Amino acid sequence: MVTQTDAYRVAGAPRAAARRRQKKNNIGVFGALSHVALIVWTILVVGPILWTFLASFKTNPEIVGDAPLALPNSFSWASWGRAWEKAHIGRYMLNTVLVVGVSTFFTMLFGSMAAYVLARFRFPGNRLIYYLFVSGLSFPVFLALVPLFFVVRNLGLIDTHTGVILVYIAYSLPFTVFFLTAFFKTLPQSVAEAAMMDGSSHTRTFFQIMVPMARPGLISITIFNILGQWNQYLLPIVLLSGSVEDKWLITQGIANINTNAGYEADWPGLFAALSMAILPMLIVYIVFQRQIQSGLTAGAVK
Amino acid sequence: MRHGDVGGAGRLASNKMRKYGFIFSFLVIPVVLYAIFVISPYAQAFYISLTNWRGISANPQFVGLENFTRLLSDDVFWAAVRHHALLLIAMPLITIAIALFFSFLLNLGGGSKGGRMSGVAGSKFYRVVYFFPQVLAVAVVGVLFQAIYRPDATGVLNGLLGIFHIGEVGWLINTNLALWSIMGVVIWQSVGFYVVLFSAGMSAIPSDVFEAAALDGAGRFRLFFSITLPLIWDTIQVGWVYLGIAAFDCFALVQVLSVDRGGPDNATTVLPLEIWRTAFTFSKFGYASAMGVALFFLTITFAALSLRVTRRERIEL
Amino acid sequence: MTNSAGSPKDITRRQMLRRIGLTALVAGPAGSMLSACATGGGGSDATPTAASSAAATSAANPFGVKADAALEVVIFKGGLGDSYATDVHEPLYKKEFPGATVKHVATQQIAQTLQPRFASGDVPDFIANSGSDLMDNGALQTEGQLLDLTALFEAPSIDDPSKKIKDTLIPGTVESGLIAGKPYILNYVSSGYGLWYNAKLFQEKGWAAPKTFDEFKTLCETIKKAGLTPYAYAGKNASYYQYWMILITAAKVEGNQVLLDIDNLADGAWTKDSVKQSAAAWAEIGKFMDKSYEGLIHTEVQTRQNQDKIAFYPSGSWLENEQKSNTPATFEYAVTPTPSLTSADKMPFEAIRSAAGEPYIIPAKAKNTAGALEYARIMLSKEGAKGFTEKSGSLTVVSGAAEGLSLSPGLKSVNDALTAAGANIVTYSSFENWYKELETELRKQTNSLMFGRISADEFCANMQKKADSVKADSSITKQNRTV
Repeated sequence: MVTQTDAYRVAGAPRAAARRRQKKNNIGVFGALSHVALIVWTILVVGPILWTFLASFKTNPEIVGDAPLALPNSFSWASWGRAWEKAHIGRYMLNTVLVVGVSTFFTMLFGSMAAYVLARFRFPGNRLIYYLFVSGLSFPVFLALVPLFFVVRNLGLIDTHTGVILVYIAYSLPFTVFFLTAFFKTLPQSVAEAAMMDGSSHTRTFFQIMVPMARPGLISITIFNILGQWNQYLLPIVLLSGSVEDKWLITQGIANINTNAGYEADWPGLFAALSMAILPMLIVYIVFQRQIQSGLTAGAVK
Repeated sequence: MRHGDVGGAGRLASNKMRKYGFIFSFLVIPVVLYAIFVISPYAQAFYISLTNWRGISANPQFVGLENFTRLLSDDVFWAAVRHHALLLIAMPLITIAIALFFSFLLNLGGGSKGGRMSGVAGSKFYRVVYFFPQVLAVAVVGVLFQAIYRPDATGVLNGLLGIFHIGEVGWLINTNLALWSIMGVVIWQSVGFYVVLFSAGMSAIPSDVFEAAALDGAGRFRLFFSITLPLIWDTIQVGWVYLGIAAFDCFALVQVLSVDRGGPDNATTVLPLEIWRTAFTFSKFGYASAMGVALFFLTITFAALSLRVTRRERIEL
Repeated sequence: MTNSAGSPKDITRRQMLRRIGLTALVAGPAGSMLSACATGGGGSDATPTAASSAAATSAANPFGVKADAALEVVIFKGGLGDSYATDVHEPLYKKEFPGATVKHVATQQIAQTLQPRFASGDVPDFIANSGSDLMDNGALQTEGQLLDLTALFEAPSIDDPSKKIKDTLIPGTVESGLIAGKPYILNYVSSGYGLWYNAKLFQEKGWAAPKTFDEFKTLCETIKKAGLTPYAYAGKNASYYQYWMILITAAKVEGNQVLLDIDNLADGAWTKDSVKQSAAAWAEIGKFMDKSYEGLIHTEVQTRQNQDKIAFYPSGSWLENEQKSNTPATFEYAVTPTPSLTSADKMPFEAIRSAAGEPYIIPAKAKNTAGALEYARIMLSKEGAKGFTEKSGSLTVVSGAAEGLSLSPGLKSVNDALTAAGANIVTYSSFENWYKELETELRKQTNSLMFGRISADEFCANMQKKADSVKADSSITKQNRTV
């Protein structure tokens, strides 16, 4: 392919060079305009986040005052102290990392196991189970909320992280199974067959051959699951009640702060808490952005 | 077990047993978890939708399809359905259009340099920054946009407009604008994700395709519409499905941002919000479940349609 | 939650907070709701054992409290704090029973904390059932979980043993806690409702609180010229502050009967002339509001009033305490009754809405119900009530308990207004608790009316339509009240 391209390039070189010159101005205008568009969107994205950080240093009258875009008069960390003390952001963050970490791991394990079997084995009930999982993609969580509470309570798992983790896994399965089934189907049959010929068991074939082969897809779905579970706020609110505040997840914490800010009128505290919730996520993302971006797309673009 | 030790028919049977044992061992945990935590609550919800359960009594009264006939004449329900329709059309269209535009700029906007198509300068930076909103929890985003959309001069957006001497806009209190404002938040949050998604799609296109087209004198617009777009069409369809499913939610943002939760005058209400309110404020669990069932059929219709369109798996087992 | 047995209690500060909680993205009610359902199934294993811990009764110990019996008190730690319990009521109890241990639990999530305990039968002895996640008292009563407080109200007062407690309270207090005809709830805090303004600002500008709607409008014009927003409420989450005003005015025109009719879903209650006139008059005032207030929450609007950007704000007695940290020295809260609408009004200008709120309950299955009753008796003593007002900045239902206290300007203003009103009291509305759907619709229609999207006639017609549909809905248990 390279040679072919090179051939094109050689043959077309003089013509292309001329064309490039001719288009140079054109590109300049276009480039300028596109930069404007890109910068505008950058401001749109960064602006609100930056504003949150700034607002955490403002005073109440400054926030509710008439100059929303003004800088704070003085940089005081008092609101951060209040938010940290009262809002327990650190604890909620840790809880969330724990819950999302464990549940994503098992979601991927169970999800890929089911998807592999559904994708590559013919057995009675295969289609039924597959469609049962896939139909879950379109179930509105709201519909299940009340009965789900009772199911979890009857299992004695209400107000426990175990309960939340199990529910997260179950609710992440439709998406995971759907995409991984498609993914496993695209992997070549021959490798697995060769392994089986060599006497490798089904289980070993799966873990030692298929999983490594499916890695890009697995990473991509893992990231989707982490994002989805991190953002989840309806389920934890139902499953982790107010009597176990020390087990709360970050979204509950934010919701609670917002309520409190509503009647204590502590807006700087609210924004400080928001900043505390935003910062670690941004840092983690920036550190791992390369992996996240490539992982995200590896499975989706096939 | 070493299957080599067993003879002909025995080997076949044992292979079969081994296979089913394996299938069973791999499926049992996920299926059981799924049945307990997903299928059974939904099955119960379907039953509840046929009762007038108020959440307290142990044995709810069976009322047949009464809840569903009531839905037909419920203005608020239909308002919510209309909003989903609008979200379903406008939100993916706008998000995908913006994301395509930016990913084109970031991947191909720089023209060809040294024989390779490249993005505009700084495209890596943009791609990283645009993804920021995606890593924020929706709860955070909702609270944040409260301050952005505040309807008087203290709102961030109105403060910006003030600089250009444009009067204050009631982002969330104007009945014609409110739903669009909320949609704007979803778009704000999503665009970065789709930029990354489409960028990957575009970088997978072999560069000689562009080279050839450029040699034929194709301009940027032709490059985009007749080459890029068709080649990443699959990826766009995937994006459409994600966004479509998101259009049936929007609960958190509407609940936090809108006037009187779903207002003004029902202008922003969505089904999840009505289900929530009907169940937990009015304690009409039967009726709320009926709404849930309706939402279920709406979503599954959309999902079935888009799966049909985007089906790209190998069916052969 | 179900309204199978509604609690005829007024909207209190706590309920207000609950609503605010709902407006934010907090989904607290889910927990409370779901747990409430959970209660529906369980908790029937024990029978009420009210007298299990009884010792001999005496004049000083009317409930026969065992001196060494432990007492567990659960307090909602919200805007009122919990120091009134830890610093006042609990020490008073300890003084009376030095041998008893008092366990103090402070929480913001009453329902989530207590529902499992109700389900299991291991309940605390005394509960401040308040906050964004309070339990549905009607539902608890239906389940047989609440202690009938008749004995409390019939018991001798600590201050004057010749008087029964019920006779030392502001009239209407016991009635406000009735469920199915019996008092199950002690509504402890007394609130007055009206239009709030900055007394210092008004004095400085020479403005006087208006006595009629005509004066009100004229004053609004004047205030507008002075560069202030004459009137505002928070449409985003507190439109019920405004519908209170509409209902108060209707009641002033026609008498409390209109409120009874509305609560009882009487035919045509919402299309009565009094409601129509009131809605029309308030819609006129609505024209003085800035459109943007429909998108603000109550604390945002209240803070703007503190900055003297708004002249009048409709609210209740808790307002001053709520805004304490944002009120500058130049701001002094004062309240005025809503203006009179016509010269033929049934109630005079001085008439004010006043109601008991802040529900306290005793679980029927508590281990030390006698101690809990005694604790409540201490709360209802002058010393207990006075201490509460000092610590929480709110008045109690104990008559004259605030005498001798140096009240904050706002509280003093409420006190004066109540004195001036005498017997002309606008009563509470129960439909807010009984028929949530109707209440939700009223919020929506109130915003529509006040921000000029519908006329007063449409407002009345829309509300009547909703009331009729609630009445026709067989799944909603109907309530009734005659006082």
